Amino acid sequence: MRIESTYKQNIQDRLEMPIKPKKNIFLQIALLVAVLFFFFSLYQLNFDYARLISGTGAFLETLTLMVPPDISQWQHVLAAALESFQVAVLGTIFGIIIGFVLAFPAADNITPHPTVAWLIKGFASLLRAIPTLIWALIFIVAVGLGPFTGILAITVGAAGMLVKVFTQSIEEIDYGVIEALKATGAGWFSIVSQAVIPTVLTAFLSWCILRFEADMGESTILGAVGAGGIGWELTHAMRAYKFDQAFFVAVVIFLMVFSVELVSNRLKMRMKNIG
Amino acid sequence: MSEKQLLQVRKQKRLQVFLFFAAMLALSVWSAISTGFSFSGLFTGTVDSTKFIIFDLFPPDFSYIASLVEPALETIYMSFVAMVIGAIVAAFLAIFASATTAPHPIVQVAVRAFSSLFRNIPVLIWTILLAAAYGLGTLVGTIALIMVSTGALTRAFAEILEEIDMGQVEAVRATGASYGQVLAQGVLPQFLPGFFGWSLYMLEINIRASTIIGMVGGGGLGFVIQTQIKLFQYEQVSMAVLLTLVLVLIMEWITNQIRERII
Repeated sequence: MRIESTYKQNIQDRLEMPIKPKKNIFLQIALLVAVLFFFFSLYQLNFDYARLISGTGAFLETLTLMVPPDISQWQHVLAAALESFQVAVLGTIFGIIIGFVLAFPAADNITPHPTVAWLIKGFASLLRAIPTLIWALIFIVAVGLGPFTGILAITVGAAGMLVKVFTQSIEEIDYGVIEALKATGAGWFSIVSQAVIPTVLTAFLSWCILRFEADMGESTILGAVGAGGIGWELTHAMRAYKFDQAFFVAVVIFLMVFSVELVSNRLKMRMKNIG
Repeated sequence: MSEKQLLQVRKQKRLQVFLFFAAMLALSVWSAISTGFSFSGLFTGTVDSTKFIIFDLFPPDFSYIASLVEPALETIYMSFVAMVIGAIVAAFLAIFASATTAPHPIVQVAVRAFSSLFRNIPVLIWTILLAAAYGLGTLVGTIALIMVSTGALTRAFAEILEEIDMGQVEAVRATGASYGQVLAQGVLPQFLPGFFGWSLYMLEINIRASTIIGMVGGGGLGFVIQTQIKLFQYEQVSMAVLLTLVLVLIMEWITNQIRERII
């Protein structure tokens, strides 16, 4: 009797529970807090608005100095751009290898032991939470300047992210697929190679492409702290007030990142069509 | 399709996959050779870095935390202000950048080109370029973050607008609703979840970015890390890195909570 009445109560609660308005109240409060925090932040940052105006004037002035771009150093700049590209390629590849190896034992549904999964996930979020440029600074002290430092930094950042997203893709697999293979008496490696990898391969590939896009951007800025590549050329030119040279470097950086985005968009479209 | 054709297609696909991996391998080998990469170097580099992290960076100097609070807060303020301004400007620009709502194709191309320019020059590069005009400090960092947020969000919002279910819009219009009502009842409900989702994601990205723009003069935690490394104060560096880590993880947690409740 009591059970029945609580059951009825439960149903009534559900019927009466206004789902949408409740959501809206949370939303309204969140928005209000956001607006207040926005003005609080502005107040705390205490911008010098006069400098905003004078700075914009100064920026427009430097823009006129930037055009036409000085391309006399093009051999130098293109060599540095190529180095950035290569650093991005190697860093992403190593990141993919580490991510691929660690993701399987880290996924809750196929991990050999929950503690292993927890440890790998924690390690990955540690790698991920520290920005690539800070990794680069640490590696510069430990290893020295040069492209090698850049590769290490990008590898760490890429591995941190890819372990997470690869693991998520594996965890989204329908458990029936794994169960079916387990029922045939298959071992861990055959379950992974026969059931898991074929299912997640497309998702993995699109994450790899996305990561390469991000790493291309990262590798162009590594030079700003001395880890090789095109970022150094920009810092150098700006410090020497050679704005027209800096502009040329900026255009090259834009073209590098832009073309990678373009290619990756086309690849994604193709994969959508195939998958 | 006959069985023979099917086999043919399968063979072709396998060849494609093989060629793809071969190309990747060739690309990596070429990159490794020209950057002077070696596996022995990778091994000693990893060992050296681990040694450095264990012996020099540890233990973090916790007494230093008091002087880190200010730059850490600056990092949060800059990211938030940039996200809000970026989201508002981008929502406006997205109307002109999406194929479904743009008043003219030329406008669409122009706005897309602008947003691509903002988005595809990394925030650190913007900071370097702008610092010459605006001077060092949080102002230039915030401006750089606003530019990149605007660029990235314009593209994302335009894509949301393009994927809107026009049936719903049509249904509202069929009731005789005015243009404003169509926007409010047909378009907005479909746009808002994506709008909030992307804005929160941008906030996370900005937090990460704003910890590093300090290294080139944009204020915040990055500036502290850069200076203390130059002074060999590694235990203070690790405290700042630790704080960055905590900040990023907390923001990730908060945005996740909000995301779950709103969307």
